[in-house]
Amino acid sequence: MKGEEERLGGVELRVLLVDDSPVERRIVEGLFKSTGDMFQVITVDSGRRAMEILGLNEHKTESPDVVEHKVDIILTDYCMPEMTGYDLLKAVKEQNFDRTIPVIIMSSENEPQRINRCLAIGAEDFIIKPLQTNDVLRLKNYARRSAISPRNGTKRKMTAELMAENGATDRRPRLTGLAVA
Amino acid sequence: MEIGNLQRRYLDFASTLFHEGFLDNQFTQLQQLQDESSPEFVLEVVTLFFEDSEKLLDELSRTLNQQAVDFKKVDAHVHQLKGSSASIGAQRVKNVCVAFRNCCEEMNQEGCLRCLRQVRNEYFLVKNKLETLFALEQQIVAAGGSVPMMW
Repeated sequence: MKGEEERLGGVELRVLLVDDSPVERRIVEGLFKSTGDMFQVITVDSGRRAMEILGLNEHKTESPDVVEHKVDIILTDYCMPEMTGYDLLKAVKEQNFDRTIPVIIMSSENEPQRINRCLAIGAEDFIIKPLQTNDVLRLKNYARRSAISPRNGTKRKMTAELMAENGATDRRPRLTGLAVA
Repeated sequence: MEIGNLQRRYLDFASTLFHEGFLDNQFTQLQQLQDESSPEFVLEVVTLFFEDSEKLLDELSRTLNQQAVDFKKVDAHVHQLKGSSASIGAQRVKNVCVAFRNCCEEMNQEGCLRCLRQVRNEYFLVKNKLETLFALEQQIVAAGGSVPMMW
Protein backbone atom coordinates (compact mmCIF):
# COMPACT_ATOMS: atom_id res chain seq x y z
CA MET A 1 0.00 0.00 0.00
CA LYS A 2 1.39 3.36 -0.97
CA GLY A 3 0.49 5.06 2.32
CA GLU A 4 2.29 2.39 4.27
CA GLU A 5 5.44 2.63 2.18
CA GLU A 6 5.55 6.40 2.52
CA ARG A 7 5.20 6.16 6.26
CA LEU A 8 7.84 3.51 6.62
CA GLY A 9 10.08 5.24 4.11
CA GLY A 10 10.35 8.18 6.54
CA VAL A 11 11.70 5.73 9.11
CA GLU A 12 10.12 7.73 11.89
CA LEU A 13 9.89 5.91 15.20
CA ARG A 14 6.46 6.18 16.75
CA VAL A 15 6.73 6.83 20.43
CA LEU A 16 3.85 6.54 22.86
CA LEU A 17 4.64 9.01 25.62
CA VAL A 18 2.75 8.42 28.87
CA ASP A 19 2.93 10.97 31.70
CA ASP A 20 0.29 12.45 33.99
CA SER A 21 2.18 15.75 34.32
CA PRO A 22 1.28 18.28 31.60
CA VAL A 23 4.53 20.17 32.17
CA GLU A 24 6.68 17.10 31.74
CA ARG A 25 4.70 15.90 28.72
CA ARG A 26 5.34 19.17 26.95
CA ILE A 27 9.04 19.16 27.80
CA VAL A 28 9.64 15.60 26.63
CA GLU A 29 7.68 16.38 23.47
CA GLY A 30 10.03 19.31 22.95
CA LEU A 31 13.03 17.06 23.43
CA PHE A 32 11.76 14.67 20.76
CA LYS A 33 11.04 17.54 18.38
CA SER A 34 14.56 18.87 18.78
CA THR A 35 15.99 15.65 17.35
CA GLY A 36 14.45 16.49 13.97
CA ASP A 37 12.35 13.95 12.14
CA MET A 38 13.50 10.90 13.99
CA PHE A 39 10.40 10.47 16.11
CA GLN A 40 6.68 10.82 15.84
CA VAL A 41 5.19 11.27 19.30
CA ILE A 42 1.74 10.29 20.55
CA THR A 43 1.13 11.76 24.02
CA VAL A 44 -1.32 10.49 26.63
CA ASP A 45 -1.87 11.44 30.25
CA SER A 46 -2.57 8.05 31.79
CA GLY A 47 -1.86 4.35 31.68
CA ARG A 48 -5.51 3.76 30.86
CA ARG A 49 -5.31 6.00 27.79
CA ALA A 50 -2.11 4.24 26.77
CA MET A 51 -3.91 0.90 26.95
CA GLU A 52 -6.63 2.27 24.68
CA ILE A 53 -4.10 3.44 22.11
CA LEU A 54 -2.43 0.05 22.25
CA GLY A 55 -5.77 -1.71 21.85
CA LEU A 56 -5.26 -3.41 25.20
CA ASN A 57 -8.61 -2.75 26.74
CA GLU A 58 -10.61 -5.34 28.66
CA HIS A 59 -12.61 -6.26 25.59
CA LYS A 60 -9.52 -6.99 23.51
CA THR A 61 -11.46 -6.57 20.30
CA GLU A 62 -8.43 -5.66 18.21
CA SER A 63 -6.03 -8.37 17.16
CA PRO A 64 -2.42 -7.98 18.32
CA ASP A 65 -1.33 -7.61 14.72
CA VAL A 66 -3.23 -4.37 14.33
CA VAL A 67 -1.91 -3.03 17.63
CA GLU A 68 1.76 -3.61 16.83
CA HIS A 69 1.88 -1.11 14.03
CA LYS A 70 0.69 1.88 15.95
CA VAL A 71 3.62 2.18 18.33
CA ASP A 72 7.32 1.36 18.12
CA ILE A 73 8.39 2.38 21.62
CA ILE A 74 6.59 3.18 24.84
CA LEU A 75 8.12 5.82 27.11
CA THR A 76 6.23 5.98 30.37
CA ASP A 77 6.46 7.74 33.70
CA TYR A 78 6.58 5.41 36.69
CA CYS A 79 4.51 7.36 39.23
CA MET A 80 1.03 7.87 37.90
CA PRO A 81 -2.30 7.66 39.70
CA GLU A 82 -4.53 4.60 39.17
CA MET A 83 -2.28 2.80 36.71
CA THR A 84 1.44 3.16 37.32
CA GLY A 85 4.15 2.83 34.70
CA TYR A 86 4.95 -0.52 36.24
CA ASP A 87 1.33 -1.69 35.73
CA LEU A 88 1.46 -0.54 32.13
CA LEU A 89 4.80 -2.23 31.56
CA LYS A 90 3.42 -5.46 32.98
CA ALA A 91 0.29 -5.28 30.82
CA VAL A 92 2.33 -4.67 27.67
CA LYS A 93 4.83 -7.44 28.36
CA GLU A 94 2.08 -9.91 29.15
CA GLN A 95 0.61 -9.47 25.70
CA ASN A 96 1.22 -12.13 23.14
CA PHE A 97 2.48 -9.86 20.40
CA ASP A 98 4.49 -11.38 17.58
CA ARG A 99 6.96 -8.57 18.17
CA THR A 100 7.53 -7.05 21.55
CA ILE A 101 7.15 -3.30 22.03
CA PRO A 102 10.09 -1.89 23.99
CA VAL A 103 9.03 -0.11 27.16
CA ILE A 104 11.24 2.49 28.78
CA ILE A 105 10.39 3.77 32.25
CA MET A 106 11.08 7.32 33.48
CA SER A 107 11.22 8.33 37.11
CA SER A 108 12.50 11.19 39.21
CA GLU A 109 13.43 8.70 41.95
CA ASN A 110 16.73 6.90 41.56
CA GLU A 111 15.70 3.85 43.56
CA PRO A 112 17.61 0.66 42.73
CA GLN A 113 14.73 -1.52 43.93
CA ARG A 114 12.31 0.24 41.64
CA ILE A 115 14.71 0.06 38.73
CA ASN A 116 15.39 -3.63 39.19
CA ARG A 117 11.72 -4.37 39.56
CA CYS A 118 11.04 -2.83 36.17
CA LEU A 119 14.01 -4.37 34.41
CA ALA A 120 13.07 -7.76 35.87
CA ILE A 121 9.74 -7.81 34.09
CA GLY A 122 11.16 -6.71 30.80
CA ALA A 123 11.60 -2.94 30.73
CA GLU A 124 14.27 -2.14 28.18
CA ASP A 125 15.63 0.76 30.15
CA PHE A 126 15.02 3.08 33.07
CA ILE A 127 15.73 6.80 32.75
CA ILE A 128 16.04 9.26 35.63
CA LYS A 129 14.14 12.52 35.22
CA PRO A 130 14.50 15.25 34.22
CA LEU A 131 15.22 13.91 30.75
CA GLN A 132 18.03 15.27 28.58
CA THR A 133 18.41 15.20 24.81
CA ASN A 134 20.82 12.26 25.08
CA ASP A 135 18.18 10.17 26.82
CA VAL A 136 15.80 10.71 23.95
CA LEU A 137 18.43 9.98 21.31
CA ARG A 138 19.22 6.74 23.09
CA LEU A 139 15.68 5.52 22.46
CA LYS A 140 16.37 4.83 18.83
CA ASN A 141 18.62 1.98 19.97
CA TYR A 142 15.56 0.13 21.19
CA ALA A 143 13.60 0.05 17.99
CA ARG A 144 15.16 -0.25 14.58
CA ARG A 145 12.93 -0.27 11.54
CA SER A 146 14.23 -1.06 8.11
CA ALA A 147 12.81 1.25 5.45
CA ILE A 148 11.28 -1.58 3.48
CA SER A 149 9.54 -3.71 6.06
CA PRO A 150 5.85 -3.92 5.34
CA ARG A 151 3.30 -5.10 7.86
CA ASN A 152 3.20 -8.68 6.77
CA GLY A 153 6.65 -9.74 6.23
CA THR A 154 10.24 -8.65 6.19
CA LYS A 155 12.19 -8.95 9.39
CA ARG A 156 12.58 -5.79 11.43
CA LYS A 157 15.82 -5.41 13.26
CA MET A 158 14.54 -4.58 16.69
CA THR A 159 16.98 -4.97 19.53
CA ALA A 160 14.45 -6.86 21.59
CA GLU A 161 13.84 -9.10 18.61
CA LEU A 162 17.52 -9.79 18.21
CA MET A 163 17.57 -10.94 21.82
CA ALA A 164 14.54 -13.14 21.27
CA GLU A 165 15.97 -14.70 18.14
CA ASN A 166 17.64 -17.46 20.09
CA GLY A 167 14.56 -18.39 22.11
CA ALA A 168 11.90 -17.06 19.80
CA THR A 169 8.92 -17.62 22.01
CA ASP A 170 10.64 -16.95 25.29
CA ARG A 171 8.74 -14.00 26.69
CA ARG A 172 9.58 -14.55 30.32
CA PRO A 173 10.94 -11.59 32.27
CA ARG A 174 14.66 -11.30 32.66
CA LEU A 175 17.21 -8.68 33.56
CA THR A 176 17.93 -7.05 30.26
CA GLY A 177 19.99 -4.05 31.22
CA LEU A 178 21.01 -2.10 28.20
CA ALA A 179 21.41 -4.38 25.23
CA VAL A 180 22.68 -2.23 22.42
CA ALA A 181 23.71 -3.92 19.20
CA MET B 1 15.83 52.48 25.82
CA GLU B 2 18.32 51.36 23.24
CA ILE B 3 18.63 47.71 22.33
CA GLY B 4 22.11 47.21 23.74
CA ASN B 5 21.00 48.47 27.15
CA LEU B 6 17.90 46.33 27.13
CA GLN B 7 19.94 43.29 26.25
CA ARG B 8 22.44 44.02 29.04
CA ARG B 9 19.63 44.45 31.54
CA TYR B 10 18.18 41.14 30.42
CA LEU B 11 21.46 39.29 30.76
CA ASP B 12 22.17 40.82 34.19
CA PHE B 13 18.74 39.93 35.45
CA ALA B 14 18.90 36.39 34.09
CA SER B 15 22.34 35.97 35.59
CA THR B 16 21.13 36.89 39.08
CA LEU B 17 18.30 34.39 38.80
CA PHE B 18 20.83 31.65 38.35
CA HIS B 19 23.21 32.94 41.02
CA GLU B 20 20.43 33.27 43.56
CA GLY B 21 19.32 29.73 42.85
CA PHE B 22 15.89 30.56 41.49
CA LEU B 23 16.73 28.78 38.26
CA ASP B 24 19.14 26.01 37.40
CA ASN B 25 20.54 24.35 34.31
CA GLN B 26 17.24 22.71 33.46
CA PHE B 27 15.88 26.11 32.53
CA THR B 28 18.82 26.67 30.21
CA GLN B 29 18.02 23.34 28.60
CA LEU B 30 14.49 24.52 27.90
CA GLN B 31 15.83 27.67 26.29
CA GLN B 32 18.09 25.58 24.11
CA LEU B 33 15.07 23.61 22.89
CA GLN B 34 13.39 26.80 21.68
CA ASP B 35 13.89 27.48 18.00
CA GLU B 36 12.08 28.71 14.88
CA SER B 37 9.84 25.66 14.85
CA SER B 38 8.92 26.19 18.53
CA PRO B 39 9.46 29.94 19.07
CA GLU B 40 7.35 30.09 22.21
CA PHE B 41 8.43 26.82 23.75
CA VAL B 42 9.73 28.23 27.02
CA LEU B 43 6.70 30.42 27.51
CA GLU B 44 4.39 27.46 26.81
CA VAL B 45 6.13 25.21 29.28
CA VAL B 46 6.35 27.87 31.98
CA THR B 47 2.68 28.74 31.52
CA LEU B 48 1.78 25.07 31.99
CA PHE B 49 3.94 25.08 35.10
CA PHE B 50 2.12 28.12 36.50
CA GLU B 51 -1.31 26.57 35.89
CA ASP B 52 -0.33 23.18 37.23
CA SER B 53 1.43 24.56 40.30
CA GLU B 54 -1.40 26.85 41.35
CA LYS B 55 -3.83 23.96 41.08
CA LEU B 56 -1.54 21.81 43.19
CA LEU B 57 -1.03 24.52 45.81
CA ASP B 58 -4.79 24.93 46.18
CA GLU B 59 -5.24 21.20 46.49
CA LEU B 60 -2.48 21.03 49.08
CA SER B 61 -4.09 23.76 51.12
CA ARG B 62 -7.44 21.98 50.98
CA THR B 63 -6.00 18.61 51.89
CA LEU B 64 -3.81 19.88 54.72
CA ASN B 65 -6.60 21.80 56.36
CA GLN B 66 -8.81 18.75 56.79
CA GLN B 67 -9.45 17.34 60.23
CA ALA B 68 -7.92 14.03 59.26
CA VAL B 69 -5.10 14.72 56.82
CA ASP B 70 -4.56 12.23 54.02
CA PHE B 71 -0.76 12.35 53.96
CA LYS B 72 -0.55 9.99 51.01
CA LYS B 73 -2.57 12.45 48.96
CA VAL B 74 -0.45 15.36 50.17
CA ASP B 75 2.69 13.46 49.24
CA ALA B 76 1.35 12.67 45.78
CA HIS B 77 0.70 16.36 45.12
CA VAL B 78 4.11 17.40 46.44
CA HIS B 79 5.72 14.72 44.31
CA GLN B 80 4.02 16.18 41.26
CA LEU B 81 5.10 19.70 42.15
CA LYS B 82 8.64 18.51 42.79
CA GLY B 83 8.73 16.83 39.41
CA SER B 84 7.44 19.76 37.41
CA SER B 85 9.59 22.33 39.23
CA ALA B 86 12.66 20.16 38.67
CA SER B 87 11.77 19.82 34.99
CA ILE B 88 11.64 23.54 34.40
CA GLY B 89 14.62 24.33 36.59
CA ALA B 90 12.75 26.06 39.43
CA GLN B 91 15.40 24.95 41.88
CA ARG B 92 14.25 26.64 45.06
CA VAL B 93 10.70 25.35 44.66
CA LYS B 94 12.04 21.87 44.07
CA ASN B 95 14.22 22.02 47.17
CA VAL B 96 11.32 22.95 49.42
CA CYS B 97 9.37 20.05 47.93
CA VAL B 98 12.09 17.66 49.05
CA ALA B 99 11.73 18.86 52.66
CA PHE B 100 7.98 18.82 52.27
CA ARG B 101 7.99 15.15 51.34
CA ASN B 102 9.95 14.36 54.50
CA CYS B 103 7.21 16.01 56.58
CA CYS B 104 4.62 13.92 54.74
CA GLU B 105 6.52 10.78 55.56
CA GLU B 106 6.59 11.79 59.23
CA MET B 107 2.88 12.61 59.00
CA ASN B 108 3.70 15.94 60.56
CA GLN B 109 0.78 18.28 59.86
CA GLU B 110 2.44 21.36 61.36
CA GLY B 111 5.60 20.68 59.44
CA CYS B 112 3.62 20.21 56.26
CA LEU B 113 1.76 23.47 56.75
CA ARG B 114 5.08 25.22 57.27
CA CYS B 115 6.43 23.68 54.08
CA LEU B 116 3.31 24.68 52.22
CA ARG B 117 3.82 28.30 53.24
CA GLN B 118 7.45 28.08 52.15
CA VAL B 119 6.76 26.42 48.83
CA ARG B 120 4.03 28.91 48.11
CA ASN B 121 6.47 31.76 48.79
CA GLU B 122 9.12 30.28 46.59
CA TYR B 123 6.63 29.57 43.84
CA PHE B 124 5.31 33.13 43.73
CA LEU B 125 8.84 34.50 43.86
CA VAL B 126 9.97 32.46 40.87
CA LYS B 127 6.75 33.23 39.05
CA ASN B 128 7.40 36.91 39.49
CA LYS B 129 11.01 36.56 38.33
CA LEU B 130 10.01 34.59 35.24
CA GLU B 131 7.30 37.08 34.32
CA THR B 132 9.88 39.85 34.59
CA LEU B 133 12.28 37.86 32.43
CA PHE B 134 9.64 37.38 29.73
CA ALA B 135 8.71 41.07 29.90
CA LEU B 136 12.35 42.03 29.33
CA GLU B 137 12.46 39.68 26.35
CA GLN B 138 9.37 41.32 24.92
CA GLN B 139 10.90 44.77 25.37
CA ILE B 140 13.97 43.72 23.40
CA VAL B 141 11.90 42.25 20.59
CA ALA B 142 9.60 45.29 20.52
CA ALA B 143 12.65 47.53 20.15
CA GLY B 144 13.69 45.48 17.14
CA GLY B 145 16.45 43.52 18.83
CA SER B 146 17.00 39.82 19.42
CA VAL B 147 17.11 38.15 22.82
CA PRO B 148 20.70 37.27 23.70
CA MET B 149 21.59 33.68 24.57
CA MET B 150 22.56 33.07 28.16
CA TRP B 151 24.95 30.22 27.46
